[in-house]
This record gives sequence, C-alpha cells and structure tokens, in this order.
Amino acid sequence: MALMQKPIVFKKFRAFHDYVKKNNGQIGTKQRGIDLNLNNACNLRCEHCFTNSPKGDHVKPVLPAAKVAEIADQAHELGIFEWDLQGGELLLRPQILFDTLKAIKTERFYMYLTTNGWHLDAPMAEKLSDAGIDRVSVSIDSMKPEVHDEFRGKKDSWRRAMAALQHVQDAGMTPYLNITVGHYNAQSEDVQQLLEYSKDHNYTTLLNVATPAGMWQKLSDIMVDEEDKAHLIEMRKKYKNILRNLWNPFDRNYEGVLGCNTVNRLYVTPLGDVLACPYVHIKLGNVFEQSLQEISEFGFSIKKFREHSSLCLAGEDKEFVTKYMMKDGTSIFNPRHAKDIFGPEERVLPEQDESIIARSSLA
Amino acid sequence: MSNDDIYRQAFIEGLSIEENEFNEELEYNTIVEWDSIGHMSLMSALEDAFNISLDTDDIVDFSSFQKGKEILQKYQVAI
Repeated sequence: MALMQKPIVFKKFRAFHDYVKKNNGQIGTKQRGIDLNLNNACNLRCEHCFTNSPKGDHVKPVLPAAKVAEIADQAHELGIFEWDLQGGELLLRPQILFDTLKAIKTERFYMYLTTNGWHLDAPMAEKLSDAGIDRVSVSIDSMKPEVHDEFRGKKDSWRRAMAALQHVQDAGMTPYLNITVGHYNAQSEDVQQLLEYSKDHNYTTLLNVATPAGMWQKLSDIMVDEEDKAHLIEMRKKYKNILRNLWNPFDRNYEGVLGCNTVNRLYVTPLGDVLACPYVHIKLGNVFEQSLQEISEFGFSIKKFREHSSLCLAGEDKEFVTKYMMKDGTSIFNPRHAKDIFGPEERVLPEQDESIIARSSLA
Repeated sequence: MSNDDIYRQAFIEGLSIEENEFNEELEYNTIVEWDSIGHMSLMSALEDAFNISLDTDDIVDFSSFQKGKEILQKYQVAI
C-alpha cells in the first residue's frame, strides 16, 4: 500500500518533511517513529543479533495489545508517522502480530515489518498487506547463499529470504532489502552485488551500520571507518535507492545527513522499556509508568541525544560507544538507565528546554 | 522559460531522474524514484519553482504528471 493511500499518515509525513526542510535538513527533536520489539523469540541464530535472541533472552514476554493501543494513540498525538514492528521474528506467532496491528489502527501510520523472511510466503504477504503493512524489510547478508545461511545459523534461510522479498512486491507492499554493513564488508564486492540485485529488482536498500551491541557487544572493530562511510555515500549517489536512517531521504543530491535518530525513533521492548534507539541500550522510561511524551521529553533533555550528530552514535561514534555502550551485561533487557549516567551538566533543564517550543513552531 | 518547461524541469529535478527517463505519462509509484519520499521532494520542487504552497489534500491527490497540471490551476499556474 502506498503512503498516499493513508491520508492521515501523509499529513504527518508532510509535517516531518517540512520540519526537516526548515531545520536545514536536520532531524532536530522531531519525533518520527516507534521501533517495537513485540516479542524476542526467533527461529534463526544470527551472529550479530542486537537483541540477544539467539541466547534465548526474554523470548516469552509480549507487549500486550491493549498497551500497544495506548502507545499508538500517544504516538499519533506526537505526530509519529511510522512504526517498525520487529523482534525476534514476529511471523513465528502471526496471530499476535495481527492482533497488534489491529490495536495500532494501521490507517494512522506507515507500518513496516522487519523479518528474516522464513515464514513469509505468498499467502502471508497478502495477509500482511490486508492488515495494513506498507513495507517489509528483509535482511540479506550476502549474494552467496552459504554465507548468509552460516551467518543466520540456518540452511535455506537465504533462499526463503529472497523469495519473501518477491512475495512482498507481488502483494503490493514495498520491499526493503536490508544490509548490515560494517568495516568487514562495507567495500566488498559481495555488498556491491547485493546493491545491484536490489536496484535491478526495484527494491529499496536500507543500510544498517554494524553496531557493537547485543551479540557483538565490545566488537568495536566491526564499526565502519571514514573510508567505508565515504564509499557508502558514493553508493548512495550511484544507486539512488539506498537509504540509511541517518541520511536525509529528501535530499535529491544524495548527500544530506538528517543526523542520528536517537529518541526521534524510540525503541520499545516487550517489557515496555523505552530505549534511545534499537542499538543504544540506554533506558529513558517505561510505557507502563510514563507517557510517551514524558519519555520523549526526558530523552531530548539529554544533550547527547538532543544535539545534532552527523554520526550514528551506536555505529560510527567510537567515543560514544566506548563511554556508554561497553558495560558488561548491557542488553535491551538489561539497559543502562539514562538518569544514572547523564549528570546535570549533560542535561538541559526543563525551563531551558526549547525543544517543545521548537517542535510546535516547526511542525 | 515557460510554465510548461518549469513544470517538466521540476519533475526531473524533484524526482532526480534523467531527461530521457521523463515522459508525460509518469504516475506515482510507477518508477522507483516516484515513491512517497520522492513525492515529497517533487512537491517541494514544484513549490519552489512556482512560489506556491500546496495544500496537503492536493499533495495527496497529485497522482500523475497530467493530474498535477489540473491541480496547479487552482494555484493560478497555467500549464
């Protein structure tokens, strides 16, 4: 389903576009999305999983649909226009996913599902489309099936993932081919071939930079370096169908940087904890205890998240990673608490906080 | 430059397509470049080119090159 078929969403999307345009192409303190980890159970064992799903971490909890409905109402009020439903692998228990979609009221949001594609056949694609999913993102690690399968810990996962993308396209949703890029592969021929494949099939490519979080915590050498980043920008210009959340999607010169999306895209865990982003495992609040607006305002009171960063804090800013992401045992289910690690000098006091004013004047 | 040329140029620049990729039968979502994101860039290019501010409802209705001509008439832009 195209975004224009959801006029309520489109109005919010336009407000986002206009905000970014007025704010010199930067995301500022504009809320854009919710990344919801509805349930952390998964059928694959991916080496890089940032949620520790392969370790069986908190695979049972599911955020109740009634709570999701409340979050969705609050998100809509905040002008949030997009939701990324993820896990774990949500197609393991599709009924929970469909109940959640109903609770969200998908006509209000640009909805996408991030999946490994294993259970996404043609009938499932049709059901997802009927339930209001606009886009499906499927992660692919290589054009070599055996490389992908080994990385994902299951044979045949490459073939099923590639087939899933085609089913998504056939069902009229937007197929996104997601690639995780780190220093180990950013400039490789294999990634280049994936980019070609995506372009040839009229897919959109979403690049997620590798982050030292979850299963890869402390592996900071996987992070892209300056040369890698320059190469990715080159690819962005060449293929034109490549996005990163960090980049300004509206820039037709394919150069602009929105800035790091921490807090702009809040990450909600199955326990209701709200983290700064999927990869920065720093807790800002909990949806059972605070409203989304309170959590968002607290998040943007932290200078590190409030101020523009042209680097992805979790995937490109080594100083940030060293200072805040290396503590043993940190995970999405055992996050560090923002109030414990950001002192008064690293915060903006409520009376100095102009983000709310800025939000309302630029929206 | 005539309004016709400006309109055409806004499509080429707004959607970031080559001259030879442009045709007057272009419709939303029929080429990769004209997706939701491209649409916002196109609308922005048209607003800048004609110095107008499009209503959101008109942006939603702007489904093709031809339909766009009708919509722009509301803004006293004759093409």
